[in-house]
Amino acid sequence: MSDVLHALLFSTLDAAPALVFAALGAVLSERAGVVAVGVEGMMRVGAFCAAVAALAMPTPLAVGVGMLAGAALAAVHGFLTIRWRSDQVVSGIALNLVALAGGTFLLESLYGPNGTPPIQQLSRWELPGLASVPVLGALSGHSAPTYLALVLPFAFQFLLARTPLGLRLRAVGDKPHAVATLGLSVAGLRWGAVLGGGLLAGLGGAVLSTAVLDRFEQHTPAGLGFMALAAMVFGRWTPVGAFLAAAFFAFGNALRIGLVSSAPGLLELVPQGVLLALPYMLTLTLLTLQGQRSSAPAALGTPYEQESR
Amino acid sequence: MLAVVGENGAGKSSLMNVLYGLYQPDVGEVSVDGQPVRFKSPRDAIARGIGMVHQHFMLVPTLTVAENVVLGREPTRRGLFDLERAVSEVAATCARFGFQLEPRARVDTLTVGSQQKVEIVKALHRGAQVLVLDEPTAVLTPQESDELAHIMRGLVAQGRTVVLISHKLKEVLGVADRVAVMRRGRVVAEVRAAETTVEQLASLMVGEGHSARAAGLADLHGGIPPGAATARHEPASSGAARPPGEATPTLTAEPGSRPPGETSLAGAVLLEARGLQALGDNGRPALRGVDLTVRAGEIVGIAGVDGNGQRELAEVLTGLRPLTSGEGTLLGGPLAGLTPAQARGRGVGHVPEDRLRRAVVKALTVEENVALGRHTRPPFARGPWIDFSGRRERTQALLSAYDVRPPDPAVPLHALSGGNQQKVVVARELDARPKLLVVVQPTRGLDIGAVAQVHAKLREAREQGAGVLLVSLDLEEVLKLSDRVYVFFEGRVTGHFTRPEYDERELGRRMLGAGTGHG
Amino acid sequence: MAERLKAILPSVLSVLLALAVCWALIAFTMTSGTATDAYLQMLWGGIGNWPSFLDGAAATVLTRPLGESAMKAALLTLTGLSVAVAFKVGLFNIGAQGQMILGALAAAVVGAQLSLPSALHVPAALLGAALAGAAWAGLAALLKLYRGVHEVISTIMLNWVAVSLVDNWLVIGPLRGVAEAGQSITGTAEIQATAVLPRLLGDLSRLNLGFPLALLLALAVWAWLARTRPGFETRAVGLGAEAARAAGVPVARRTGVAMALAGALAGLAGAVLVLGTEGRYPGTLGAPYGFDGIAIALIGNNHPLGATVAALFFGVLRAGGTRMQLLGVHKSFPELIQGLALLFVAGRMVWLAVLRRRQASPGSGPAPAAVTPSTEAPRV
Repeated sequence: MSDVLHALLFSTLDAAPALVFAALGAVLSERAGVVAVGVEGMMRVGAFCAAVAALAMPTPLAVGVGMLAGAALAAVHGFLTIRWRSDQVVSGIALNLVALAGGTFLLESLYGPNGTPPIQQLSRWELPGLASVPVLGALSGHSAPTYLALVLPFAFQFLLARTPLGLRLRAVGDKPHAVATLGLSVAGLRWGAVLGGGLLAGLGGAVLSTAVLDRFEQHTPAGLGFMALAAMVFGRWTPVGAFLAAAFFAFGNALRIGLVSSAPGLLELVPQGVLLALPYMLTLTLLTLQGQRSSAPAALGTPYEQESR
Repeated sequence: MLAVVGENGAGKSSLMNVLYGLYQPDVGEVSVDGQPVRFKSPRDAIARGIGMVHQHFMLVPTLTVAENVVLGREPTRRGLFDLERAVSEVAATCARFGFQLEPRARVDTLTVGSQQKVEIVKALHRGAQVLVLDEPTAVLTPQESDELAHIMRGLVAQGRTVVLISHKLKEVLGVADRVAVMRRGRVVAEVRAAETTVEQLASLMVGEGHSARAAGLADLHGGIPPGAATARHEPASSGAARPPGEATPTLTAEPGSRPPGETSLAGAVLLEARGLQALGDNGRPALRGVDLTVRAGEIVGIAGVDGNGQRELAEVLTGLRPLTSGEGTLLGGPLAGLTPAQARGRGVGHVPEDRLRRAVVKALTVEENVALGRHTRPPFARGPWIDFSGRRERTQALLSAYDVRPPDPAVPLHALSGGNQQKVVVARELDARPKLLVVVQPTRGLDIGAVAQVHAKLREAREQGAGVLLVSLDLEEVLKLSDRVYVFFEGRVTGHFTRPEYDERELGRRMLGAGTGHG
Repeated sequence: MAERLKAILPSVLSVLLALAVCWALIAFTMTSGTATDAYLQMLWGGIGNWPSFLDGAAATVLTRPLGESAMKAALLTLTGLSVAVAFKVGLFNIGAQGQMILGALAAAVVGAQLSLPSALHVPAALLGAALAGAAWAGLAALLKLYRGVHEVISTIMLNWVAVSLVDNWLVIGPLRGVAEAGQSITGTAEIQATAVLPRLLGDLSRLNLGFPLALLLALAVWAWLARTRPGFETRAVGLGAEAARAAGVPVARRTGVAMALAGALAGLAGAVLVLGTEGRYPGTLGAPYGFDGIAIALIGNNHPLGATVAALFFGVLRAGGTRMQLLGVHKSFPELIQGLALLFVAGRMVWLAVLRRRQASPGSGPAPAAVTPSTEAPRV
C-alpha cells in the first residue's frame, strides 16, 4: 500500500510544478486586474525556448531563457492591454494562437516533427536520509522546480498578504482609481504583475521540456495553461488556493495514469475521460454553487482610464 | 475654511482635480504657500500637503481601514508590511482628530458615513494641511452631515485649511468662513460667510436677473427669514453679467402661457398608488410609503433634493425596479410585478435621467434608437421584419419636427450632441402617444433653446390628454410646468401643492423635511 | 460607403501585415526566393493551379484545390459565425471548440445509428448536431445569467470537459466503432451512406453540400441580425443591455437564444466535418476550428458577412498550406498568418495611432490626444 502511495506522490510531485507555476503566474496577473487567458501561449513559448536553449547551454540557464521568453510574450500582452487598453481576452487568445502556430512552424522547420533533439534534463536531487522513509521518501529525487513549487506559493501568499507591494497589487486589481489618487502608478503595478506572470508561465513551460520531458514536443503544453486557469479559479485567485488546486489536479492525473497500468479494471467503472474532465467539472461546479463575483478581483479585465470612475 | 459653491457643471470638481494633480491645467498656475507649483500627479500634491476627499470614494472595498489609509506609504519592518504598526498609526491619527473608526474593519462592511471618515483620515494621515472635500454630504444622512460639519470645524480649529465644494448653501454658510461662488468655469464672487445670506449666495450662483430661480434655490436651502425675499442682493462682481439672450423665463414673468382654469383638463385617473415601498441601489429603503395620483391631462411634478426617492419612484413606475410593498393601479393593471415591456404596452413613456445608460444605445444609429422600444410595431416593423422604409420616414419626420441636427437618421447616435440626443429621446417617447409619460431631469445639460423646446413638447403632450409625471431637481422647472407638485423627502411625500397655490417657501421647507419630525 | 471602408480597413491591413511578416519569417529562416515560392504554392494550392490549367492540364487541377478550400472555408465560416453571433449579444464565446465537438459527435451518432432515407437522414444528423452544440453553449449562458459566471471562464472549462469526455471516453469507449474484418479503427462507427453530405461536383473534387450550407447560414444569420426584430433586439442587448431592458427587450431570453444559436452554428461545423469529410467521429477532431473561429470572427469585424469573407480567405490559405510542404514549410503555416492577423487586429489601435501620427505631422502638428478604444469587442 505504501508503495502505491509512494509512487503516486512521486509522480504527482514530478508533474505538478509546471501547473503550479502557470497557475501562480495567472493569479499574479489577474490579481492586478489583467486577464491571463494567454498563459497557455506563454507556457508554450517558454517550453520551446528553454528546449532550444538547452541544446547550447547548461539546462538551468536554459530554464532562465524559457522564463524570459514567457515574459517577452507577456510584454506584448502588456503593451496591447495596459499601454493601449486593447481587449484583454482578445489579446490573450491572439497570443495563444500565435504561440501555437509559431511553435509548430519553428519546430518543424528547425527540427522536424518529432520535437527537438533530447536535452540534458535538470538534475534530480536525492535527499539523503529521507529517501528511505516510507511515503515521505517520495519527496526525494526530484529536480529543483519541484521544491521551488512547494515553497513559492507560500512565499507568494506572504508577499500578497504581508508586503507593501502585495497590498498595492491587491488594491490595483480591486480599485485602480483609489491607487491612482494616492499617487501610485496603476500602469507600473500592472506591468510588474503581467511580466511576473509571464516569467512564471514561462518557467512552467520550461519545466515541461527540461524536467518532465527531455525535449520540446509538438503539442506542449497541450492545454495545461487552461488547466492552470481552472486551478486559479478553483483556488479563488489566491496563491495557496491555486497551489492546492493545481496539486489536487496533478494528483488526480497521477492517479489516473497509475490506474491505467495497475488497475485497468477500475477504469471500466470510471472511464479515463471522466477523470480527465474532473478538474474542469469541479471548477464549474464550484462556480455554479457560489457564483463568480465573490472571489474574482473587482476590476479584472477593465482597462484603467483616468477619467472614468 | 473656504467653501466653493456653484450649480452642477460650474467647474467646481474640475478645479479641484487640477489642484490635486489629477488633471493638468492648460493655462495658469497653482501656488502653495506663495510658491508656484506644478503637480504632475497626485503624489506631488500630497507631498505639498494637499489632501482630497473625492465625491466618489476612492477606497479599496476588500481592504481594511488601516490598509486603505496607509496604502502607498506603508510602514514596514525589515521590508515587510507592518500591519500592527499600520493599525496603531491609524488609530493614533483617528484619536488625534477625534474619529471613531475600527482600523481592522474591512471597508466594505462600513456605513457610507464611516467610509467618508476613512477618506478624511487617509488625507490627514498623509499630513494634509489643506483638505479638499468634494460634495461630501451628497451621500450622507442629516445626522452624518452634522457630524461631518463638526469634524471640519475641529480641523480648522487645529489650524488646517478646509476647502469644501458643495451646492448646498445652508450647509456651506453653517460651516465656512469664506465662500467662493463659481459659475460657468469662473469664480464670480467671493464673500464672507458671516456677512452673507443663503438668498444672496443663490443669486450669485445663478447670475443676475435669475431672481425667481435664485429665490427657489434659496428657499430650497431654507434659512431665510420671512420677508427677506423682497430684499434682493445685487451681485457686486461685474464679471457676473449674464450672456445676452439667456433670459430664463421665470414663474412670474410668464403667467400668460397658462390660461386660468387649465387644470380642469385633468381627467381619468391613470395612476393610483398607495404605500409604495422600494429599495435603492444600496439596498436601503428608498421609497418608504408613497401615495400618489396622476390623472390624464395634467403635469404632476415631483420636487425634492437629490436622492430622496424621486428616481426610484420613476423606476418603479416604468417597471425597472421591483416594489417591496404597497399597491397601485397603473393604466388599468397592477403596479406590483410590472415589467418594462408591460409598462410600455400599457402606454407608459419614459424619459430617464441617465440617457446613455437607460434611454439610448449610442453605438446604434439614430433611426434604430428611434425604433427602440417600439420596434415590434408599425411603422417600425412589418411582421417579424424590420420595416426599413417606414422607420426611415418616421425618423426623418421626427428629426425635422424636433429640429435635431444633423437630421441624418443613419448616423450612429454618438455622433450627436447631448442636447440632440435628448431631443431624439423625447421625440421617440412622445411619438408613441403615451398615456402616462414619466420624465426625469429632462433638460439637464441642455442649452436654453433645447430646454424651451422640451418644455413646450411636455405641455403639448398634456394638452393632448397625456398624464405627465415630471421629476426634476430644478425647482423652477417643476413649478413652471406642473399643475400639481408632490414634495419628496427621504422616500416620503412631505407636501402636496396645487397650482396656483404654490408657496415656494413652504415648498422649500417641505423639501428639507419640515413637518415630518426631521430636519 | 466611407464609413464601411473605414470599418474594414484595419482588418485588411492587419491581414496584409501578417502576410508580410510571415513572408519575412520564411525569408529569414530560408531564403527570400523560397518565401515567394512558398506563397505561390499556397496560392495555387488554394485557388487551383491556373498556370498549369492554362497550359492544358485537366480541370481537376482547379476543382480539387478549390474543393479543399471550400471545405475548410465552410468549417471556418460556421465557427466564425458562432463567435460573431455571441459577440453581437455581448458574450465572448471561447467555447466554439467544445460546441463543435459535441455537434460532431451527435452527427456521427445520428448518422451511424439511425436508418432513414437520405432526404431525412442528413437533416436529422444536422439537427442533432445543432441541438447538441446549442445545449453545450446554453450551459454557459445559464451560468452567466443566473450565477454571474463569466462566459470566458465557463466556455474554456466546457471545452476541456468536452474534449475529455468525448475524445478520451465516449469515442474510445462506449461509442467506438466495431472493427470489421480484422481492421482496427479509431473513432466511432462509420456513418451510413444516407447520412453523407452529397458531393456537388462528383469526382472532380471533394466539394460537398456543407459549403453552400455554410454560405446560406451566413446569409441567414446576417438577415436575422440586420433585418428582423429579434435580431435587432439581440444587437441592442449587446451594445446597451440596460437601455434594451428599459425598452422592454427580454434581455435574458435574447442572451440565451443568441448563445444557443452560437452553439448550434459551432455544432453544425462539427456535423459538416463528420458528414462531409471524415465519415465518422475520428479519434480526435484534429485542427482546432473552434479556436480559429475566434480569429475569423474578429478579423471579420464581428460581422456575419465579414467573417464569411475572412473564412473564405483563410480557407484558401489553409488548403494551400499543404502545398507549402513541398518547400519544407509546415502546412500549419497559414495558421500562423491567421494568428498574427488576429494579433494585429487586436493591436490595431497601436498602428492606427502610428499611421495617424504620420498623417497628422508632416511638419510638427500635435499628436492625436486620445485613441478611441475598441467598441466591437465587448469588455470583459
